[in-house]
Amino acid sequence: MRKYRSHWSQGDREGYQRRSNYYEGPHTSHSSPADRTREEVVTPTLPGHAATRSQMATSLDFKTYVDQACRAAEEFVNIYYETMDKRRRALTRLYLDKATLIWNGNAVSGLDALNNFFDTLPSSEFQVNMLDCQPVHEQATQSQTTVLVVTSGTVKFDGNKQHFFNQNFLLTAQSTPNNTVWKIASDCFRFQDWSSS
Amino acid sequence: MSLPSGHTTGHTDQVVQRRARCWDIYQRRFSSRSEPVNPGMHSSSHQQQDGDAAMHGAHMDSPVRYTPYAISPYNRKGSFRKQDQTHVNMEREQKPPERRMEGNMPDGTLGSWFKITVPFGIKYNEKWLLNLIQNECSVPFVPVEFHYENMHASFFVENASIAYALKNVSGKIWDEDNEKISIFVNPAGIPHFVHRELKSEKVEQIKLAMNQQCDVSQEALDIQRLPFYPDMVNRDTKMASNPRKCMAASLDVHEENIPTVTSAGEMDKWKGIELGEKCADRSPVCTTFLDTSSNINSILELFPKVLCLDGQQSPRATLCGTEAHKRLPTCKGSFFGSEMLKNLVLQFLQQYYLIYDSGDRQGLLSAYHDEACFSLSIPFNPEDSAPSRFCKFFKDSRNIKILKDPYLRGELLKHTKLDIVDSLSVLPKTQHDLSSFLVDMWYQTEWMLCFSVNGVFKEVEGQSQGSVLAFTRTFIATPGSSSSCLRNNQCDYVRAPHVLAWPKMYFPVTEPGDLAGAKKPKPNSQG
Repeated sequence: MRKYRSHWSQGDREGYQRRSNYYEGPHTSHSSPADRTREEVVTPTLPGHAATRSQMATSLDFKTYVDQACRAAEEFVNIYYETMDKRRRALTRLYLDKATLIWNGNAVSGLDALNNFFDTLPSSEFQVNMLDCQPVHEQATQSQTTVLVVTSGTVKFDGNKQHFFNQNFLLTAQSTPNNTVWKIASDCFRFQDWSSS
Repeated sequence: MSLPSGHTTGHTDQVVQRRARCWDIYQRRFSSRSEPVNPGMHSSSHQQQDGDAAMHGAHMDSPVRYTPYAISPYNRKGSFRKQDQTHVNMEREQKPPERRMEGNMPDGTLGSWFKITVPFGIKYNEKWLLNLIQNECSVPFVPVEFHYENMHASFFVENASIAYALKNVSGKIWDEDNEKISIFVNPAGIPHFVHRELKSEKVEQIKLAMNQQCDVSQEALDIQRLPFYPDMVNRDTKMASNPRKCMAASLDVHEENIPTVTSAGEMDKWKGIELGEKCADRSPVCTTFLDTSSNINSILELFPKVLCLDGQQSPRATLCGTEAHKRLPTCKGSFFGSEMLKNLVLQFLQQYYLIYDSGDRQGLLSAYHDEACFSLSIPFNPEDSAPSRFCKFFKDSRNIKILKDPYLRGELLKHTKLDIVDSLSVLPKTQHDLSSFLVDMWYQTEWMLCFSVNGVFKEVEGQSQGSVLAFTRTFIATPGSSSSCLRNNQCDYVRAPHVLAWPKMYFPVTEPGDLAGAKKPKPNSQG
């Protein structure tokens, strides 16, 4: 890996470096799991975003949206998979009322059906190895701030063999002056098994 | 990158009408809150999204787990409907095997199974089709394991006289295009879903049933009196090619006790491509299908996995553990919201990858929105020991789980179509295998379409030439820019979608050895 650092290092920036806690701030500091009593994904509100969709600030540049997307994605992924593994019944709090899930080709729509679905899914152990995200252009979302989150890793459901998985989420933002709460509008999950077994 | 002209709306209108008719039936499939995620979504596209069971019902290796013995057949009116509000097929209230074994046949045996096939039935929604057949059929029947296979629809029934009655319905029912619907009947052996329900303590009963089953020659004689078209017989792709082995594994019965099941003999595989030739003397339903969507037909052939859904493993739930009542839902194949969008997405993918694999990716400029995004990730930490063929991707890989530097995070997200296409152009040359594609269309509004593609591709040059990698790619697309697109909601995406945010392409770990032996879906055409 070292040999690639020269490609990345530019200007004053240091090369690739691992830092466990880049973002500071009360909302995104990583408190211990026991402290989290609410299942909510919360990030600081961007300036000018306190109102709802109609007042999306246009003066913010693309970079700001990228940063916001990353914060939301990181916070989200931490909470989501832990809730899925350890507090499954609370998982649907992370979904919008009208959210949809496509789980290995099975469509699940609305909170009732989602509750039902997650209740019948065996208990899980997720290991997320990869996370990426992008802000979604407002033209596609009619100015509803939206982030695409993509994850992959492995999962073991009780009574089943381990699978690779990949998962996509669309997160939408509801902003107040103090913070922005992110919820899942749509979720797509697939096992990624290409073995010959 | 516009779609070919000649897209006909006649078929689509009838499809929508049919869906509208079935709409009330499908209310039960979805929760009461299944309004469109975006309230701005037009109602007709909502119908489209929900009404197309042809795509929802497409199955793969381990299809619906139905328990035919759980309910007496005479009380089973309408029970072939999916159980709950979701498309998830799970065995929830399973009766114990003892009760399951009884009741269907007066003498307690299993009865003999027949496979009922409707050619090109993939066009029809399940409920509509079964109702239509039942209305014409002289006896009530209970369809078991309804599924779509290649281009047609099939289900099983458990009684020779019922099978005969169904055979008589052939040619006496019509679809909404006024084309006759044919029905073909074949003996089926003991379908595999029956295997799973049986416990080892029932071995003697099973043996008895097998012996009776293999008086199938007697049954076969009865069947042979029917207008039976041997060349329409299809291989049941879900059964092992040697059903004896299959049953031995599940029943723990010595192989020598299992007589030969004659239906497992040589069967011609349905050749989807040669529709014209096969059906020249059949009902006009064949030619109608070709006429309305011949271009789509040829495109669909490139994506056999989307249709026949072979090759995807479903998890094997076991009964051990404290959560024995919890099951993983059956894994299904590609999911599309509607026929229209399915065709659109598949056409888009075909054109996209044609250019992508052509050696010059500049042609993709027309596919991307001016302000699109693109990023690439591999799920490796580069400092782990990883296969060296992934090394060339590391420098472009954006994995924010391990990458914390905000500058780099910004750099690795490509923005604007020029940057994107430049980045794509330096990625290795590839050959994507469309037949491996599994597509999920997981979010749609008037303004946005999100879909993900899982598949494999081969590197065709360089040090890793020949190595096969798996990928997942997520597209977010918006309709083409002409305002006429938005007027008619059905045609929202008639124009080629502009890829707006193309968030991800990544390569999970695969060893070439694994993929070489990977189960590949059998394409519709033989060879």
